[in-house]
Amino acid sequence: MNGQQRGGPLRGVRIVELTKVWAGPYTGKLLAFLGAEVIRVESEKSLDVTRFYGVSDINNAPGFKAVNPQKLSVQIDMKSKAGVELILSLVQKSDVLIENLRPGAVKRLGLGYETVKNAKPDIIYASMGMHGNEGPLSYQTGYAPCFAALSGLSSLVGYEGQPPAGMNVRYADSTFGAAAALAIVAALFHRRHTGEGQYVDVSAVESMTSMIGDSVMDYLLNGTIETCHGNRHPDMAPHGVYPCQDDEWISIATATDSAWCQLAEIMGSPELARDERFSSLPHRKRNEDILDRLLASWTVRHSAAPLANQLQARGVAAIKSVNSMDLVADGHLWNRGFYHEVTESDGSTRTIVGPGWKMSRGASITLGAPRLGEHNAYIFGKVLGLSAEEQQKLADAGISR
Amino acid sequence: MTALHGIRVLELAEGVGGEYCGKLPSDFGAEIIKVERPGCGSPTRGLRPFANGNAGTENSGLFAYLNTNKRSIELDLTGKNGQEALKRALQHVHAVIDDHSADWLAQMGLTAEAVHRDHPALVVCSISNFGLVPPEDRLHAEDLNVFHSSGWGYHTPTGGDASMPPLNSAGRFLPSYEAGIDAALCVVAALFEQTSSGLGQFIEISKQEVLASRIDYVLAQMVAGEMNVGTHRNAFDLTGPAGIFPCKDGFIYIWLSTPAHWKGLRKLLDDPEWMSDFPDNWLERECTPERVESCRQHIIEWLKTQGKHDAAEKAQKLGVTLVAVNNAQDLVESPQYQHRKFFVELSHPVLGSLHYPTVPYRLSATPAKPSKAAPLLGQDNHIDWQDLVTPTRRIRQ
Repeated sequence: MNGQQRGGPLRGVRIVELTKVWAGPYTGKLLAFLGAEVIRVESEKSLDVTRFYGVSDINNAPGFKAVNPQKLSVQIDMKSKAGVELILSLVQKSDVLIENLRPGAVKRLGLGYETVKNAKPDIIYASMGMHGNEGPLSYQTGYAPCFAALSGLSSLVGYEGQPPAGMNVRYADSTFGAAAALAIVAALFHRRHTGEGQYVDVSAVESMTSMIGDSVMDYLLNGTIETCHGNRHPDMAPHGVYPCQDDEWISIATATDSAWCQLAEIMGSPELARDERFSSLPHRKRNEDILDRLLASWTVRHSAAPLANQLQARGVAAIKSVNSMDLVADGHLWNRGFYHEVTESDGSTRTIVGPGWKMSRGASITLGAPRLGEHNAYIFGKVLGLSAEEQQKLADAGISR
Repeated sequence: MTALHGIRVLELAEGVGGEYCGKLPSDFGAEIIKVERPGCGSPTRGLRPFANGNAGTENSGLFAYLNTNKRSIELDLTGKNGQEALKRALQHVHAVIDDHSADWLAQMGLTAEAVHRDHPALVVCSISNFGLVPPEDRLHAEDLNVFHSSGWGYHTPTGGDASMPPLNSAGRFLPSYEAGIDAALCVVAALFEQTSSGLGQFIEISKQEVLASRIDYVLAQMVAGEMNVGTHRNAFDLTGPAGIFPCKDGFIYIWLSTPAHWKGLRKLLDDPEWMSDFPDNWLERECTPERVESCRQHIIEWLKTQGKHDAAEKAQKLGVTLVAVNNAQDLVESPQYQHRKFFVELSHPVLGSLHYPTVPYRLSATPAKPSKAAPLLGQDNHIDWQDLVTPTRRIRQ
């Protein structure tokens, strides 16, 4: 149960989460995967929507389980005075607090930075908001696709000449969460060496802008406002996603003239590579509509995966555009342990999605997401040192419900 | 004061993911020494956007963005002298960031085993598309391919038309940036531990896995057998009328999912008649395709007279999650970005004085941001390694 036994670079770091839905919990998950002991403060009165949305059992909610493996759960009613005091005493035993509640909510609860800092002067307090915690627009709220829209990112995704379509609706929360995790670890580093904690204010919208920094640079440098351009790339052609048999698609990116020659040969049309219209990148860019049509009329006669293999064998960057079935069946991801088993609180096993890294001395990731209040006894007893009698009082008063 | 003051990192990486990984700790005050190919420098120097559209070693806006705060030394790592210099340099740094192949790392004496044996205190981070040992059928990939290997591609955009190709991510390098964040996270976490234990780490980042882990909310349910998988393009989607719509001066994004949103919309649109045909809780309980389509058409009609920023302000005050779809110019002009000083001005000998995007976090005690423009190629060639002696460890006893 204690982080010390799992190893990893953040072993011994204790983190308190006052988070909801995806972005904040994702931050906690990454830190737990790095070895921190991450404690979710929850209560029946203000449950995370992912614990009950579309399910009958709050301890068996697939969405919640997806983003909260390897964490602990303690029940504290943060809307009661005694609950707030209890949270403050938990913070005194912790290194980091993460919150992504609505703008101003933590302050109203009596858990704003100044209050928490009074209780624990060297706390690292990470606040996550759509626009960050301050500024003229910080009152505004939104969900993940709003972050992407506001950041400039959505305007770059779409078909040429059409309104922007944006990334998939699921995009943004997890990236925002990862940016917050990085800032927290940098703050931990600073604290380890100076003893100083601090307030970390993370903006979802700015996190998204960081994912298109070079496009923004184009505007700052040349005044160019990029728009969406389908699947085209200024320095590669062909570069796109092409139809295959059975409604499959293949992504092909041709970075060099020689890769293009190989592609033309595999197409059975080596003359295309010598064709004046396609002989060099500028020529291919100029005639890209025809080029894409020619390529698509060839790919559509093939099955995506074998075609990708054939192209790979000749050095052409080509990979099937994988659907959800392909993704969960991806042998490479299984072989690398990206999907791996953890143990649930009832002793059963469950497959989870691991982190995007491997480390020679990483933390072991062995536990599923916690039941509501699964670690009450550990947190109240071991961490806070409350007697059985005191714990019973909390329960009777409804503080730990 | 900066958070990572005293940390020194050698950047051998030459791609966007690796250079972004190096940029992130540099914004926190780490010293990044970038190794570049003699003469031509990092390949990213050859990538657009270029100042005034002119290619040139010092003209790339991409390189300028990715390499703020860094130092540059030219080393020919294909030759013995260069490799000897690298060996010496490794004695003077806390971490190495790389994005070459396993074979290349072996040549440089930087495999996990070699690092463990020869440089036990060193943190080495490798960034690659599919891990250091990619399968035969994934040896060649650009960011477009990686994006489409992760599940994101096939499901972009939301509500995609099955007859149209699935799309690439935003911009050219989103998979690389995403991988750069996780790589930097691991490097800083490893350094956090290394400065007390004295032990290094070998970190391996797979871009595909970083991207796939970003869809954990959906993918974890799928891999646990709790959500259907299949060949449909909308497998990641949510239902409802949410989406991007045109308005008078551009586009807005509106999200509608609760009765409260519907109530707010009614006020925003001044209680139009058509809304009475919808049950108050239809967004949650009776979200039929017909209603979605009808609702969208009415919103589109209303938006014809609305400006994106005005509409957003009015909507937000009524609890409707409507926002502008911004472009780069909107960001520069945004009062929010200005207030938070998201853009910072830096001076570069060739590019001149320019604004740069900075970081999405404000740290009260150790502000993070670039303070120096990207280096000219080889401007720190005469760095005196002997002068640097052993890396500062800054352990607080």
